[in-house]
Amino acid sequence: MKPNQTLEDDQRLRQVLRQWTVNPPLPPRFKEQVWQRIARSEAQPAPSLRGSLARLLEVVVPRPRFAFSYVAVLLVLGVAAGSLAAQAKTKRLDESLGLRYVQSLDPYRAGPSNP
Amino acid sequence: MKKGATILLLGLLLATAAFCGFYYLGTASCRRMMRGPQPELAWLKKEFKLSDAEFARISQLHAAYLPQCAARCRRIEEQSQRLRQLLSQATNMTPEIQFVLAERARMRAECEAEMTKHFLDVSRTMPPEQGRRYLAWVERQTFLHGQAMEDRHHTQGGSQPAHQHQM
Repeated sequence: MKPNQTLEDDQRLRQVLRQWTVNPPLPPRFKEQVWQRIARSEAQPAPSLRGSLARLLEVVVPRPRFAFSYVAVLLVLGVAAGSLAAQAKTKRLDESLGLRYVQSLDPYRAGPSNP
Repeated sequence: MKKGATILLLGLLLATAAFCGFYYLGTASCRRMMRGPQPELAWLKKEFKLSDAEFARISQLHAAYLPQCAARCRRIEEQSQRLRQLLSQATNMTPEIQFVLAERARMRAECEAEMTKHFLDVSRTMPPEQGRRYLAWVERQTFLHGQAMEDRHHTQGGSQPAHQHQM
């Protein structure tokens, strides 16, 4: 086979492939089946709260990424809340001890039992 | 479902443990201070960053001042009782009432002068910067800041105060 003839065959093959179209026949009662599926999906009731929670516990929470993020966020919240509460408590106590110091020295700031 | 519930519970437990742990650690110094014999002096040491030697000296000044303060308060209270007794019998101003009023005012002035002297003694015992901060603080917190009577006149008269302490 000559090289020129091979090239010519390739070009003809490409042309045939470009023109080739496939028109497969639809399965029987295709349209009817599609409408039935649409009707079924519309008729499904909205998921209940209990069902959503169950799905959350069964499917969403056990996913490693979700579980790790959930635990990490709660941990950070716990640390932040604990630190803030401790700061508030320390500040309150500092103020109260400062007042006690002043009251121990200044009769005008002392309680009603002192003159 | 069981696995999901366990993860939720674990998160809540960890958050609670973190909250309690950080609260406990964050308030440890307060608890230590409150367990001491004089928490208000321990607070003074912490607040004004006193060394042990400075703290010991200030504790001595404090302990020496308190009985004198109590004695002055007793004398003022005696004068107040005498004044109440005189007022319960009097219908007009008498020289005796005037004398008791003057005597009580003199004792109060003496009390204020001794208190101011104590504050200055304490501030001198502290490092200079902390001493200035202490004096500014006691001025805001004690009688040095001004009298309620003066404040009331300013409020009622609607005029500007004639004198205000510099903060």
